[in-house]
Amino acid sequence: MSATVMLFDPTAPQVAATATGSVQLTSLAGAVIGFIDNAKPNFHHLVDDLADIFTQRYGVSRVIKQRKSSASIPADPAVIAEMAKACDLVITGSGD
Amino acid sequence: MSANSLDRAAHFECADDVEAINRLYRERRWSDGLPIIPPTAERVARMLAAVRIPPQTVIARVAPGFGAATVERIAINAVMAGCEPAYLPVLIAATAAMAESSFNLQAIQATTNPVAVWLIVNGPIAQQLEINAGFNCIGQGAWANATLGRALHLILQNIGGALPGEMDRATHGQPAKYTFCCAENEVNHPWQPLHVERGFSATESTVTVVGAEGTLNMNTHAKSASELLRVIAQTMIHPTSNEYVHGGEPWFIVGTEHAEILKQAGMDKAQVKQALWEQSKMPVRDLSVHEIERARASRTVELGPLSPDTLLPIATTPDDIQLIVAGGAGTHSVYVPCFGNSRAVTRRIET
Repeated sequence: MSATVMLFDPTAPQVAATATGSVQLTSLAGAVIGFIDNAKPNFHHLVDDLADIFTQRYGVSRVIKQRKSSASIPADPAVIAEMAKACDLVITGSGD
Repeated sequence: MSANSLDRAAHFECADDVEAINRLYRERRWSDGLPIIPPTAERVARMLAAVRIPPQTVIARVAPGFGAATVERIAINAVMAGCEPAYLPVLIAATAAMAESSFNLQAIQATTNPVAVWLIVNGPIAQQLEINAGFNCIGQGAWANATLGRALHLILQNIGGALPGEMDRATHGQPAKYTFCCAENEVNHPWQPLHVERGFSATESTVTVVGAEGTLNMNTHAKSASELLRVIAQTMIHPTSNEYVHGGEPWFIVGTEHAEILKQAGMDKAQVKQALWEQSKMPVRDLSVHEIERARASRTVELGPLSPDTLLPIATTPDDIQLIVAGGAGTHSVYVPCFGNSRAVTRRIET
């Protein structure tokens, strides 16, 4: 029987994303939808089309669009706070 | 499971066979593609003995997975990379530096950009650890340079969770993602070394982390400062640069011969930075249409409306341009274009 050795795992458990205080929407009718545009070219075209669909097909009351200055930086905390206050649902994403 | 048990590195028994161990670490994607030194309990204990910090101390949470970089896990990755125990304090300081928000590690780790983390060591520890600041200082041959840079990238991959093709989305990456580390030549230096410029004393030891997009050698036999700075500034200009789009932090490894020319001309660091900043401005029209759109989103607040004739500075201010002196004899300096939305961070190394 060959000798054994104790070895370490070099990785660390990754922190899972947690959804705290989230509220499930049962309907989009009358809801306020927010978009955080990551500033990649063309994302705003996608957002414009989605906003039309949300409004015309699902009765969304208002769409709020906020654009970051760059995809590689987080949204301004003040923008996040404002969106959290004003919106029932916020969509972030990447378009290119 | 308690926080403490999460912060304790997992361990397991394995046949004491270096080839089998390397196969296992390769299969589990715990290596960078090169063979590793098996992180046995004995080796990790020897590494940990180099510092007086409890092993389960969390130095930082490393993006994008936000794994806990305990002293123990940093030591494990250091062993795997081939580091000497005396190197551990450098890695602890570097890990803390990378977690500063201004460094923007989340973006650096997850971007399609090839950005690698470059370590620059200043102060007495650089000589104590024999970190090369001379000939071939960012090339091969020096154990400390090679293993320190490698350990840091193992930390980014293993603790941060940035596996190539998964959370590390680099389109091509670059060789510096294996290792990128040097010291500054503080002996043949016409100005204050980097750490002194950044507010530390000359007798303190520091490590600086930089989000480096690559390296571009600049070979010029120019003998006048004005000509030297003109050709370097022209080298900086390239329309595919993140720095012009966002206002970046370009770095230069000034070769000792070029440094001497600037010294003889009586130029201080601020004057060199100013000259490079002025002469490297690029007209907006040189960018692609989509990059102009990105630059407008990113820099309108700073520069106002951008027209095709607007001259874009590579950085928001001349002082954002960073210079270190390193390398051996020769007519070379190195331009290190950077990620753009990241600022280098310097931390004191506690020994």
